Amino acid sequence: MNDRSARLTYGLIAIVGALTVAPVAMLAFGSFTAGLDAFGHFTLAKYVAAYTDPALLKVLGNTVIFVVGSTLLATVLALVLAYLNTRTDIPGKFLFGVLAIVPMMIPHVLFSVAWALLANPSNGLINRALMDAFALDSAPFDIYSLSGMILVEGLLNMPIAYLIIAPAMASFDVSLEESSRVFGAGTWRTLLRITLPVLRPAILAAFVLGIVRSLASYAVPRVLGMPGRVEVLATYLFEMISVGFAPDYGKAAALGMSALATSIVLIWVYRSLTSEGGRFVTISSRGWRPTVVPLGRMRMPLFALVTLLSFIVIVLPVAVLAYTSFVPYSMVPSMQAFAQMSWRHWTEVFADATSLLALRNSVFLAVVGATVGVVLSIFVAYVIVKLRTRGAALLESLTYLSFSFPGIVIGVGFMWFFVHTPLYATLTALLVGYIATYLPYGVRPLASAFVQVHAHLEESSLVCGASRMTTMRRIIVPLLIPGVVAAWILMATMFLRELTLSVVLSRPGSEVLAVQILGFADDGLWGKLSALGIVMIAISTALVLLASLVGRWFASGAKARLEANA
Amino acid sequence: MPPLDRRTFLHLAGGAGLAAALPSALAAEGGDLAKAKAEGRAVFYANITAVEPVVAAFTAETGVKGEYTRISSSKFVSTVVTEAQAGKLLADVVQAPLPVLELLREKGILAPYRSPAAAGFPDWSRPDDSIQMFGIEYVSYLYNKTQVKDADAPKRYEDLADAKWKNRIVMADPASHASTISWLVGLKEKVFASENDWMTFVKGLAANRPMFVASFGPTPAPIESGEKAIGISMPKYIVTKAPAPLAWGPRGGQPLLGTPRAMAITAKAPHPAAARVFMDFWLSPKAAGMLAKDVGEYVLTPGVFPPIDGIHAAKVLPIRDLDDAEIQKWGAQFKQIFKG
Amino acid sequence: MEIRVEGLTKHYVAEGRTVKALDRVDLTIPANRIFTLLGPSGCGKTTLLRCIVGLETPDDGEIRIGNEVVWSRARGVAVPTEKRGLGMVFQTYAIWPHMSVFDNVAYPLQVRGVDRATIAKKVAAALQFVQLVGLDRRSATRLSGGQQQRVALARALVAEPKVILFDEPLSNLDAKLREETRKELKRFLGELDITAVYVTHDRVEALALSDSIAVMRAGSIVEIGSPQKIYFHADHRFVADFIGRANLIPATVRGQADGLTMIDCALGAFACAPRELPPGSEATLCLRPEFLHLHEGATRPGHNVVTGRIESLAFVGEVYEAEIRAADLLLLARTGPDTALREGDTVSLAVEPEHCLLVSA
Ligand SMILES: Nc1ncnc2c1ncn2[C@@H]1O[C@H](COP(=O)(O)OP(=O)(O)O)[C@@H](O)[C@H]1O
Ligand SMILES: [Mg+2]
Repeated sequence: MNDRSARLTYGLIAIVGALTVAPVAMLAFGSFTAGLDAFGHFTLAKYVAAYTDPALLKVLGNTVIFVVGSTLLATVLALVLAYLNTRTDIPGKFLFGVLAIVPMMIPHVLFSVAWALLANPSNGLINRALMDAFALDSAPFDIYSLSGMILVEGLLNMPIAYLIIAPAMASFDVSLEESSRVFGAGTWRTLLRITLPVLRPAILAAFVLGIVRSLASYAVPRVLGMPGRVEVLATYLFEMISVGFAPDYGKAAALGMSALATSIVLIWVYRSLTSEGGRFVTISSRGWRPTVVPLGRMRMPLFALVTLLSFIVIVLPVAVLAYTSFVPYSMVPSMQAFAQMSWRHWTEVFADATSLLALRNSVFLAVVGATVGVVLSIFVAYVIVKLRTRGAALLESLTYLSFSFPGIVIGVGFMWFFVHTPLYATLTALLVGYIATYLPYGVRPLASAFVQVHAHLEESSLVCGASRMTTMRRIIVPLLIPGVVAAWILMATMFLRELTLSVVLSRPGSEVLAVQILGFADDGLWGKLSALGIVMIAISTALVLLASLVGRWFASGAKARLEANA
Repeated sequence: MPPLDRRTFLHLAGGAGLAAALPSALAAEGGDLAKAKAEGRAVFYANITAVEPVVAAFTAETGVKGEYTRISSSKFVSTVVTEAQAGKLLADVVQAPLPVLELLREKGILAPYRSPAAAGFPDWSRPDDSIQMFGIEYVSYLYNKTQVKDADAPKRYEDLADAKWKNRIVMADPASHASTISWLVGLKEKVFASENDWMTFVKGLAANRPMFVASFGPTPAPIESGEKAIGISMPKYIVTKAPAPLAWGPRGGQPLLGTPRAMAITAKAPHPAAARVFMDFWLSPKAAGMLAKDVGEYVLTPGVFPPIDGIHAAKVLPIRDLDDAEIQKWGAQFKQIFKG
Repeated sequence: MEIRVEGLTKHYVAEGRTVKALDRVDLTIPANRIFTLLGPSGCGKTTLLRCIVGLETPDDGEIRIGNEVVWSRARGVAVPTEKRGLGMVFQTYAIWPHMSVFDNVAYPLQVRGVDRATIAKKVAAALQFVQLVGLDRRSATRLSGGQQQRVALARALVAEPKVILFDEPLSNLDAKLREETRKELKRFLGELDITAVYVTHDRVEALALSDSIAVMRAGSIVEIGSPQKIYFHADHRFVADFIGRANLIPATVRGQADGLTMIDCALGAFACAPRELPPGSEATLCLRPEFLHLHEGATRPGHNVVTGRIESLAFVGEVYEAEIRAADLLLLARTGPDTALREGDTVSLAVEPEHCLLVSA
């Protein structure tokens, strides 16, 4: 059996490695090569050039603040929301599901633009309203600032953190908290000393993923940082590759290597912090008492807060998008603007053959890509969390490899790689690239779900004579349903709006939504862009609903089976 | 030879039936079209946007399927070179700013072709036997007509440095955006009398603390919405974003500047005949008319202008093409001035 | 400390159905005794226990611990769990996985703000008490089931609560360990002056451990008494049936004679242990298998004797279990491992009147 575990591990290392090492290796070659592509004379000049810029220090300082700040915000928000939703008697729980998922469906560029419209210091709607209301002379908010960027990036990354933390929170063995209360600790102390520490793996996972993601994130720095003259690594890299007509991706890759190194180090730190195998096993097969913490007097204020958050995160940007798709050009809402509304942008988008093809392709990539990605992720997470074979650490790092590379550079790595394969310029290339890059979106939620599955549950099934495959299928997978659903949703919505790889890899016939949207953005056609963006959100919504329904259906079946066995 | 003379010559030549003597004779076109139809399609890589209607018109008119992929100028060279080196360049025709195509030509990726459809174009639009320029990505300042009264509007470039526009200007980042960098350098060479005057202007502009965005694409929205009053942008948005209250300047005789838009056929085009047919169509008055009318492009086709008030009277000049080293040098300098 | 429960009611709504988990329960748990709540799974034992600790809010009724009312609907009192000063051992032990054994056990003291030196001393004493000396630095999850159980016990005891509650604390242990731990637990509890409330569905556990037992069914308490009383002199048919193997035979009371109660049943006339029942009333005759004495051959005359045929004889370890067909009834009886009886043999069954138990119909 050990032999089989090892074979599974190395098989997965081979698959995941092929997916993620290739583009990064290409970039690594490129960073050591004179000239504009991956192969040529060896040189260190690019590293010297990349790392000796005196401006870099400031950029790195901003980057650290931006990345850590937004990730903290995202994680804390996700924690609070997950706790309120799964463990308290707060009303309106449906809001939480929506709140967690909608920001993933809004293309980040659009979300950022919506915020610029709302809170820019010149005529942002919120600023205007506050200035009028309180007779202020200057705008209270400036979204074009480091704190503005942290806010928006934090809101955007919150769903990822939520989808990792909430399942762990939901399958938390409540008796751990109850015993704390019996022994004299109040709700707060229990939260701080028991709940949060026990959830540490999920929280850390969310945090690490958030760091890695915001390190590679580009939309927010571009839309909000550039006007605010706040330069972070992503915009710095962009500047590096956009000055001139023959950009040197090798030099950008040289700098990207340190983002990569940072991420890898983080992942190792994370692993060592959570390394004691059986420590955080909490689900017990009979733990079905979802006791609810009564919020008492805090109930309504907290609900109001969540409602406000939903308003900020969902309603405002979607409303801004809807509004923009109806007005002929960017205008501040006014009677005049409402009078000029029309369906023009919508009819134009739907008359556009490329947009329709892009729509079909994106839906295909989302559904098929997420499904394949989740299947692969289940195996990877199983090896990482449960088998913990010697190769598991390597495997885990590999899953992060292309993910942690700054997005604007990794696409080129994929292009350098795919062009040597028959996949080049096909939809399959996009599919493979997506799965390779966003594998952590599948592995992370599944890993924290696996952590929650008690070893005894598996062992009892093994004892019952089931093979490892059957164990996986009959016992583990049903218990993993929440993780599977979360992973699928994360991947599908990501693939639906994927831009950074697509913009490099899509060719005639393999156009996708985000590239189409970028085209509109480059032409300043916000109306069409918003119309297509709303279509994208609608499709995402449909996919998310579908996934949740299927998940619920499976889960009820699995529960019935468990009870029948008990 | 001055352009006008050359043009006249070509007209005369065409009229006198001398066309047969030109490299690609019209007589051959009939044969090309048949071959192109057999090839089935023409693949077009371009950085120009919103040209789907032109490509569709090509398909409708020739029966050859036009396929258009947009590749941003910053990824153009790397994409095409990567594909070409792997022997997988899918494009038959490439369109990009002139400096990009020159890079590609140096790498032997372009094929010589002279389209008869460009016969009436100015002489400078054909820097060599493979590249054909067809338009100018003209840049200038736009302002919001409702926010800025005509009397207050900047009349000359110098007016942009006026302190009354402090915090009211939006522009692409002059440290990184190649077209904006080229435009600023172009002003020095083609508009301002002395380097000193120019530097005063640039510093004045910088002192107005413009808001930076990544490229031209995001420049019109803040002007339309009134977030900013003025943008360094492209007048073509007046067409594509109608009825937005945009107006352009300078109207007092100073020229407008821009990087030439160029195109060429690739050396190993998978569909060579279709490539030629596509290029002929693209350079035809019909396509040029569409580019001008629907997309607001400034084309070199004589007598065709975008439907923008007063543009036919404007002098639109190509900027000298700067190589990457020069762009980077200026970018660094503008970074100092604008952000230092 | 004594615990008094009055009129306690609790219902759940799950999947549209209402479940009465507790139905007007009245109960007094005497101080410093081991008191067991026994009943089939789902009868409301855990719910009652959780209401006492405060993890569950009842619908109605009142709970007192000692002299303090900790919950009362009528008076609007609801002392939160953490203020009730109890100790509890959970079914899953609820050992905190992120803490060492020491930290787990020290937690109740830390929460109470006890100083470090005292904590160290008391934890050491508690670990000593449960015989876990030397394991204090070990991660709590790296313990065997029995060790975890003892950590849970030490943690429950360390703050010297007046009341300790157990919810099926042995059900996660294997059979042998369960027996050992049960004995140990009895010894531990015997050494302390503490009120222990113990929930189990295992009758052997209940009988072996308790000073008194309350048998529950469907949200109510059916009967309370010492283990002997519950086993030998149960009033209710349900209790008699639940607490041990029994042959239950419907019977009619004929009258009292010689200090015994005379009945008729399908097996004939029986003299039974006395019970105040009016002649003609319906009752159930309860015969425990171990009190049925088997003799080879047909009936000899006498009281409380029946003739039957052995239908099956199964060796179950210490004894043979025989199923005997008599007067259309199948009776379960036990006989020693050295018996000469065989399947198919005709036997007579005799039972002393004091072992003929009459319970409710
Ligand atoms: N949280 C709950 N939600 C709904 N029904 C519950 C809940 N907890 C217990 N019940 C129901 O209440 C009844 C009593 O449960 P419980 O006290 O756990 O029984 P026991 O501990 O005796 O096995 C059972 O029918 C059970 O299904
Ligand atoms: Mg129970």
